[in-house]
Amino acid sequence: MAQWRNGGSAYGIIAQALHWLVAALVLAQTGIGLYAASLPVSIARLQWLSRHKSLGLAVLVLVLARLAWRWLDPPPALPEAMPRRERRAALAAHRLLYALLVAAPLAGWAHASAAGLSVNWFGLFLVPDIAPRSEALAQAFKAAHGICVAALALLVAVHVAAALRHALVLRDGVMRRMLPW
Amino acid sequence: MVSARAATIAGALAAGVALPAAAEDCLPVDAARGSVAFEVKQAGAPFRGRFRAFGGTVCVAEGRATRVEVWLDPASVDSGLPEIDAALRDKDFFDTARHPRVTFASRSVETRGNGQVANGVLQVKATRRDLAVPFTLQREGAASVVAGTLALNRLDYGVGTGEWADTKWLAAEVKVDFRAALARR
Repeated sequence: MAQWRNGGSAYGIIAQALHWLVAALVLAQTGIGLYAASLPVSIARLQWLSRHKSLGLAVLVLVLARLAWRWLDPPPALPEAMPRRERRAALAAHRLLYALLVAAPLAGWAHASAAGLSVNWFGLFLVPDIAPRSEALAQAFKAAHGICVAALALLVAVHVAAALRHALVLRDGVMRRMLPW
Repeated sequence: MVSARAATIAGALAAGVALPAAAEDCLPVDAARGSVAFEVKQAGAPFRGRFRAFGGTVCVAEGRATRVEVWLDPASVDSGLPEIDAALRDKDFFDTARHPRVTFASRSVETRGNGQVANGVLQVKATRRDLAVPFTLQREGAASVVAGTLALNRLDYGVGTGEWADTKWLAAEVKVDFRAALARR
């Protein structure tokens, strides 16, 4: 029976919901961002970039909420049998994942700010800028956004591979902790 | 002696003594000491830029402007985003290849409150429309400075045709802020 909070052997509903929601949004964001960047200056590009920026800020808020929840409700323990080296690698990978999940939208937000293309969140309210307007800064934040996203993609691939290894090779229940069924 | 009289008049001018109403002085706009900035909402957020090249003449008599003839070069648009500037120069916006100048010429200039209003014709691309432009003419140190703000509907002038006529993603209203010192002779 699923619980709101994390149990001894599985993540609770809230941690799982946040994990899968962020995963789905990040996947969608990658597609939308790449698609929008491929378009010429047009209404379609304006629309997709606007959605990308609003969704990106939603990701940022959700990731911060995840971190807060993780602090309030620590994750279930890893299996006793897991080697120390792997535990350390898992800890480092997760820290880096969280750092990139915060840094990527922040760099995107700073890019939009510096470029003078502020965000109106889904048409509901104007989001404040976090960087002064400057072509040089805009270029720098754009590059930073790209690097964060590329690093995130790489790390997500490692994350998925590690999860599958736990599920299919080690069969130690580590991946099962994050599955809702 | 003629030269003595000329010197007296020059002295009176230098001292700022008011001359008879007929003495109209037409001064060039000094773009180096001024700016023409615009603001338009894109996706609900303000987007700002400026035009680097502009000029013209403002005639002044007794501290009031009497005639205004100004132009700007829309190809000098600078939003800080080269891609967007290129789109603004293109056919759907200013079509600068065919229409290299935006002009405004007053037919009359009246006083209103503390400021003035220039009633004239604004030409953008092939569209000429009557427009009343409120502005102030003030002395700032040694310089006379013309400044004002106006709101234009870009669609009135065919700025943003085709898909850009969609005002949900690119608002119709464009705010223009202008400010320029008049060059001294």
